[in-house]
Amino acid sequence: MARATGTTAGTTTTDTGTAVLRTEGLTKSFGGVHAVNNASVTFLEGKVNGLIGPNGSGKTTFFNCVTRMIKPDSGKVYLRGKDVTGWSPHRIARAGLGRSFQLCRVFPRMTVLENMLVSVQPESIAQQMELPRNREMVGRAREMLHRVGIDHLENSEARDISYGQQKLLELGSTLMSDPPLVMLDEPAGGVNPSLIEQIAVLIQELNKEGTTFLIVEHNMELIMKLCDHIVVFDRGAPIATGTADVIQSDPRVLEAYLGV
Amino acid sequence: MRSVSETRAARTAAQSGAAGGGSPGRLRPTVIILLVAGVLALWPLIAGNPYMLSAGVIVLNFAVFATAWNIMGGFTGYISLGHTAFFGLGAYGTALLVINWDVPSFVALLIAAVVTLVIAIPVGFAALRVRGASFVIVTIALVLVLQLVFQGWGNVTAGSAGLVVPRPFPDLLRPEHHLVFYFLFLALLVVVLVVWMLIDHSRFGAALKAVREDEDKAESLGVATGKMKLTAFAVSAFFVSLSGGLYGLWFGDLDPIFQFDVVLSVQVVLMALLGGIRYLFGPLVGAIIVGAALEYFLLNFGETQFHLVATGLLLAAVVLFVPDGVLTGLAQLIGRFKPQAASIREQSAEELRDEREASKAKKVEAEKVETRQAEAQQSKEEDRG
Amino acid sequence: MVSGALLFQGLILGVLLGGLYALLAAGLTLYFGIMRVVMLAHATFIVLSAYIAWRFATLTGLDPMLSLIATVPLFFLIGFAMQRYLLVRLRPATMTMMSVLITFAIALIIEGLLGLVFSGTQRRINLPYGTSSVEFFGAQIPVVQIISFALAAVSLVILYLVLKKTRFGRALRATIQHREAAQLVGIDTGKIAGFGFGLGLATAAVGGAALSLQATIYPSLHWHWIGPLMAIIVVGGLGSIPGAALAALILGVVRLMLEIPLGPTWAQTIFYLALFLTLMVRPYGFFGGRLAQRF
Repeated sequence: MARATGTTAGTTTTDTGTAVLRTEGLTKSFGGVHAVNNASVTFLEGKVNGLIGPNGSGKTTFFNCVTRMIKPDSGKVYLRGKDVTGWSPHRIARAGLGRSFQLCRVFPRMTVLENMLVSVQPESIAQQMELPRNREMVGRAREMLHRVGIDHLENSEARDISYGQQKLLELGSTLMSDPPLVMLDEPAGGVNPSLIEQIAVLIQELNKEGTTFLIVEHNMELIMKLCDHIVVFDRGAPIATGTADVIQSDPRVLEAYLGV
Repeated sequence: MRSVSETRAARTAAQSGAAGGGSPGRLRPTVIILLVAGVLALWPLIAGNPYMLSAGVIVLNFAVFATAWNIMGGFTGYISLGHTAFFGLGAYGTALLVINWDVPSFVALLIAAVVTLVIAIPVGFAALRVRGASFVIVTIALVLVLQLVFQGWGNVTAGSAGLVVPRPFPDLLRPEHHLVFYFLFLALLVVVLVVWMLIDHSRFGAALKAVREDEDKAESLGVATGKMKLTAFAVSAFFVSLSGGLYGLWFGDLDPIFQFDVVLSVQVVLMALLGGIRYLFGPLVGAIIVGAALEYFLLNFGETQFHLVATGLLLAAVVLFVPDGVLTGLAQLIGRFKPQAASIREQSAEELRDEREASKAKKVEAEKVETRQAEAQQSKEEDRG
Repeated sequence: MVSGALLFQGLILGVLLGGLYALLAAGLTLYFGIMRVVMLAHATFIVLSAYIAWRFATLTGLDPMLSLIATVPLFFLIGFAMQRYLLVRLRPATMTMMSVLITFAIALIIEGLLGLVFSGTQRRINLPYGTSSVEFFGAQIPVVQIISFALAAVSLVILYLVLKKTRFGRALRATIQHREAAQLVGIDTGKIAGFGFGLGLATAAVGGAALSLQATIYPSLHWHWIGPLMAIIVVGGLGSIPGAALAALILGVVRLMLEIPLGPTWAQTIFYLALFLTLMVRPYGFFGGRLAQRF
């Protein structure tokens, strides 16, 4: 399962590498508001990509358009070279795109373990009618639960665990199918600093093992620390891309955030 | 002093036991279904007169209908008020096949159900384009439009004049007629219960339940929600159609107003809700309670409008006070007598990490002990050899 | 073949019918917009109002429309009470489904009570102007239908003015569009939702009175209306009153025109055909209503 490994942040100022996710002219309007305005963006394979921008810049709408939670008005989306424009969300997920939600979503009345097992997709009708769990599936789920640190909660209902634990569960279940690209919508939202730290470490570990990430975040510290390729959005379109250093010194970025 | 291999075997055994643990097999529920069927089979002995027996037939009919409905409603959470359409299609389909083409009754039953299944696919596809309230509206519309169609098509369906269905066993007296059909319905009930149970204990069922819990999330995890929902819809339509066809053969008289009646849909949903839609026997329990209540109202208040009021009151009461159903309440009651699971909500991330470190340390220790034992064993064997 | 005059008459009658449909559907749209509630009892309340109008007319000999003086405020109060004391008790997680069931329960109870009190006999009001018609460019238009339409049109205009020009209307629209945001700017969304519901049921009162002028009423009449009204709001786009009105007008005209060749039973199926088409082509409705997006 060889995959391209990322380059360390800060050593290059130009962006090189294969595109894991690319959009062309993506547009989505609500009434008269152009939430996403002709956005053509590239995110790189093997890296921890970041997508930042001030409030209302269209990051989450962009995110939802790419994952097809909402239908864009026009434009194209390419996932690892394949044109996935118009694919249904579950097809895109099967093509190797995992995602988390801004307001953490888990299956509330299923146990933590059951939550994890939903991601394991049966292939044939015969498999569909198998018992809902087997040793191999459960073993893998337990490994992942252990990795994110909530294996002791395996039999608790997801609605009974704390928000932070739900976030870890959401992350774990997204990783279960081993997607090459994982998109996280504000992974640090609403959790305490030590948990953010835990998540950051996990992302770095997984990235080293070959998973590409795309993180939408407001937490600048986290972005600057984790991401080696950052795209800045403003008013529905990208205004700057590059490494953390490049972004931080770009006057357009400052202007977007500070209105200076 | 255990050998390395023994210890490893013990660990694997423990793991596999745990892996299977919490996920009951399909044998036990099947046995329970047969036991319940056995108990229900005693009703004809208890029933004092043919009327009580026929009441039993009606209740079983409701039970089959409600359980089949629950294949869609219980697993996906999509409440369809339109399954009466499939009931009616099964009834009329069977009747028309027997009348016009002399098809043997029970063959006609199956053919009608297959035809209904085929119809249910595009209908379900259209209906499932929307969710929640829109879905309910669409399913209601389905029943209403079929009522219109079957009334309008008088030359085919005899419209409001009523269609008489030839009896499959014309020589039987009424009591025997009810008896035979009681057991036919009971057999059909067993089949539908087994199907529900199989889905409940399958990955297909797990996917459906994920749709119920959070459809968008399920999609984002790669679950083909559209296909899943449509399959559940079609399967439930098939079995509802069977119950409709069997009803037609038993009752012998069909009328669009009664066969395509939205109130019947609501009564069936009421039964499933009252019993508990997450439980195998929920719809059956609901059918017994509501069916018995409806028969009681009919006996005491006749054909007046009071039974409408009563149905409405019962429905309102269930929605307001027992929305999770009787069996859920029972399960919670039983759960209260079991040992409590510790509350884990308040654990902070630090405590979490400390715990992990502690258990990791313990595991490392245990492994060290094992390796030491293994080495000791090996050196012993080397000494021997 | 069908003459031009007959077609013209059908067109006019269709518009008049559509206007009535528009008023009846507007209420449904309100309930849905405010609370995502599918108020299946709306049609029953329309029939109830028609019964009250009929009873009033037969008891007092006065014009049934005068009953509106009592029914409009009464229904407003009932609507308010229903929202504030009944619907809020439902869990938000299963609100849509449970609201369908409980409003259906209310519909059954009312239908049953109507049957118990008034029996199933079909009723019709004897109006002095009940059989007269007006001539309009060769078309014979029954007076009662013109009055119904006028009643509906006036009510819709009032509804429009209330929603667009009053503070209450603004608050109501805000609550419909974004409840949390409305709360943040200090709107008492609970009370506003109650008033909105009352407003919806008040339109049912007017609709019922209009209906009583021209139709034969019986307890299960509401079944005749539930399907078409539901179809109208889905075709128009859930949550959009202008959308529902437009869909109502169009479908009303088509429905009436089809009655000539097909007869009433088959003509009625046009609503369901339109519903099916909407689902296949534009599930969220043709004439607006962003609320239908993902509820």
